[in-house]
Amino acid sequence: MVKAELVKRSPLRILEKSINGGVGKGNIAVLASRKGVGKTACLVHIATDKLLRGGRVIHVSFAARVDHIVSWYDDIFKEISKWKNLDAAVEIHDEIIKNRVIMNFNQAGIQTEQVLRSLGAMITDGQFPADMVIFDGFDLSVSGRSDLAAVKSFAKSVDLEVWFSASLKGPDPLFDDQWIPRELSAYADIIDVLISLQFEGDHVRLQLAKDHDKLNPGNLHLKLDPKTLLIAEDKP
Amino acid sequence: MNTEAIKRMRNIGISAHIDSGKTTLTERILFYCKKIHAIHEVHGKDGVGATMDSMDLERERGITITSAATNVTWLNNPINIIDTPGHVDFTIEVERALRVLDGAILVLSAVEGVQSQSITVDRQLKRYKVPRLAFINKADRTGANPYKVRDQLVEKLNLNAVLMQIPIGLEDRFQGVVDLTTMKAIYFDGESGEELRVEEVPSDLAAEAAKKRETMLDAVSMFSDELAEAFLEGKVTDELVYAAVRKGTIARELCPVFIGSAYKNKGVQPLLDAVVRFLPNPTEVTNVALDLDKNEAEVTLVADPSLPTVALAFKLEDGQYGQLTYIRVYQGSLKKGDELYNTRSKRRFKVGRLVRMHADNMEDISESECGDIVALFGIECASGDTFCSPQLNYSMTSMFVPNPVISLAITPKDKKSSDNMSKALNRFTKEDPTFRSFVDPESNETIIQGMGELHLDVYIERMKREYRAEVETGKPQVAYREAISQKAEFDYVHKKQTGGAGQYGRVAGFVEPIEGNEYEFVNSIKGGAIPTEYISSCDKGFRKAIEKGTLIGFPVVGVRVTINDGASHPVDSSDMAFQFAAIGAFRQVYPRAKPQILEPIMKVVVEGPTEYQGNVFASINQRRGIILATTEDGNFSRVEAEVPLSEMFGYSTALRSMTQGKAEFSMEFLKYGRVPTSISEELVRTFQDSNQKVVVR
Repeated sequence: MVKAELVKRSPLRILEKSINGGVGKGNIAVLASRKGVGKTACLVHIATDKLLRGGRVIHVSFAARVDHIVSWYDDIFKEISKWKNLDAAVEIHDEIIKNRVIMNFNQAGIQTEQVLRSLGAMITDGQFPADMVIFDGFDLSVSGRSDLAAVKSFAKSVDLEVWFSASLKGPDPLFDDQWIPRELSAYADIIDVLISLQFEGDHVRLQLAKDHDKLNPGNLHLKLDPKTLLIAEDKP
Repeated sequence: MNTEAIKRMRNIGISAHIDSGKTTLTERILFYCKKIHAIHEVHGKDGVGATMDSMDLERERGITITSAATNVTWLNNPINIIDTPGHVDFTIEVERALRVLDGAILVLSAVEGVQSQSITVDRQLKRYKVPRLAFINKADRTGANPYKVRDQLVEKLNLNAVLMQIPIGLEDRFQGVVDLTTMKAIYFDGESGEELRVEEVPSDLAAEAAKKRETMLDAVSMFSDELAEAFLEGKVTDELVYAAVRKGTIARELCPVFIGSAYKNKGVQPLLDAVVRFLPNPTEVTNVALDLDKNEAEVTLVADPSLPTVALAFKLEDGQYGQLTYIRVYQGSLKKGDELYNTRSKRRFKVGRLVRMHADNMEDISESECGDIVALFGIECASGDTFCSPQLNYSMTSMFVPNPVISLAITPKDKKSSDNMSKALNRFTKEDPTFRSFVDPESNETIIQGMGELHLDVYIERMKREYRAEVETGKPQVAYREAISQKAEFDYVHKKQTGGAGQYGRVAGFVEPIEGNEYEFVNSIKGGAIPTEYISSCDKGFRKAIEKGTLIGFPVVGVRVTINDGASHPVDSSDMAFQFAAIGAFRQVYPRAKPQILEPIMKVVVEGPTEYQGNVFASINQRRGIILATTEDGNFSRVEAEVPLSEMFGYSTALRSMTQGKAEFSMEFLKYGRVPTSISEELVRTFQDSNQKVVVR
């Protein structure tokens, strides 16, 4: 299958339709769940989809090393190209690598301001006009509202969409009756798109809790396939 | 020979930036260990000048420690001091020296503090996981501020630097140090500071000393619950402190700091005590080898003299008496007469003369301890070779030697230089398998090849300084490659049948691109269309043809040639005829196979203070580079990128100026990549105009 076709048929198009055409530039999306459920896999799939559409992605992480992140991308790309037998997979892979940068911050207690400064340097001095920034492992509970607001204002100024992964640590029940994680309720108004990952035995369901101005617990009919670690349609 | 002896051994390097006084310190260490009879009397081993990276001071004063490793003894502890190259290049030589060390002393000037070269040197130590002590030297100079330097060690190098002493007086009033563990003052008497006088802490320093001791104990007790408890109960003993400091230092989570002035003969003996107390012995360091019989699987070596021997030849030196090979014995032991196996050359040899190097003489020995550093005489080998007991096939380094990516034509300035140049090249190529040299048959020029611009610059400089061989250099040349990008068919007749012996050969088939840099030849001839004896001639011809592609005269890689038809003449066909046919066929089909130019792409890593990050990003961008990842660690950033080699010339200078000398970069070959069309067109144009090898502007 050629790349264009693959992109068209991606389950992520379903996601986009459900959230009013996409996250939108200058907006923030959050993927929330307990640790180990599959947030990083989803984020990497979302990033890869963006890359396949010719977009540029900065993947921000707060880890000790960078190689495992590269492995994530390699593995997910392999699964995607296997899924629909992608033509010229190797060339496409080389192309999309050029449009992805991993920025890793290894310092304990680094200030959000510093992270945004470095992002700015990459976008301007590095001439890397990113379309999407992924914050993987950014501890939302530690950072305050002002940090989130700073990120949003940065996103607006450089015209990109931001995805966060939020690791929920609280006691059960994690969510309120609108599927908003209780520990994120203080930030709910700044977050534009909020998706929770629900562990359901043999797969993980993607639950849309907030779609821009709409608070509707709509069923996305999307799941995270544990075998391929790809977002897939959850056909009944 | 037993494990107790090994535990007393220390293998250390002294790492320093240029103005820190490394040479003076080394000299004093030799003096106090009774290795030299008076200060200022250390001479070079064989009259050959110091290596390019040694301090200018060294050369000026005529003092050189040219031994790759010098053995001294301090209080019944044998210590090998390994010469650590100071220049800022990640060459194989640096790697080998750092592999052979178990610990290091990082020397800094109390006046200048942490300099950009100390940053580089520390980074190298971190990369090779070397535990270290810090010695703040020159406490007697105007502007000396050891406290400030300690703070810099924390801020700039991210080290958990803990003062183990405080100075008694500073600048011209510097008299000695207070040991915060024993809480005693130490003074250095005698003509050369060789007599230690221990007294009570001067009353005016008592409060300061007590405070700094608290700080020290606070930091050090993190490494020992026993000490922490004793600290709370006020029952701290020297032994508890030493044990905790040793644990923290070896784990590389602590860097104990000492103060002194080597020039004024103060502070060196306590530093030596610290080397013994806090730096690891060979059994406390993990050393890994690769098992060549198991696809280079990693094997952990054990510093046990009874196990089979594994040793690394880390430095070769040409001396008056022949070639000296310095080796570090990692496992097992070595005796005169032992049979060893060189796992690179795959040759066995007998250990002949075995020596230990001291500052002023060479001592013949009959056996070497495990963990020790000794030298062998007259062994044919290359630097980096691994020697094992014959039943093992381990290598300390991967056997993979990368192909050079850059070459340079050099011309000696006169006859003397020419002779010296040959000697120099001989020695350098033996020491470093990634450095090659040969004479170009076409131009008759001497060509040197290496892994980067800096790599070659270092050798040219060393040729001048060590061998007095001055050479002129041409422009650096990138090792381009050519490759076809699509399948194409050929059908070619080579015919010369006009009078006399003729030549005839027809060969048909197709070429296609394949992954990798190889050449493949497939014989699909049916029915003897080409007689069997000429099949290999075709292969030979194709191999010849691909040596020089017609785009820009560089080798063609990644091509598979299949022959499936042809014709021959009963009289005029011959080996030569079919070779020519193959060459002609290739030249003819080549343009139709959509050939492209490939260039070496390097993996470039730039490390430096975060404040210059933007400049670094821009510099990579300007060089057609792709940034892959960045890692920010406190005030330091590390940028990984892929950049074409042809764009990296002069990067060293550019980087230095855009980061005030505070950033460093390393570069290694990654892969070959397609050259963009515009550049490709220009390369072809230049080649066609001059009809010579392409020169990079």
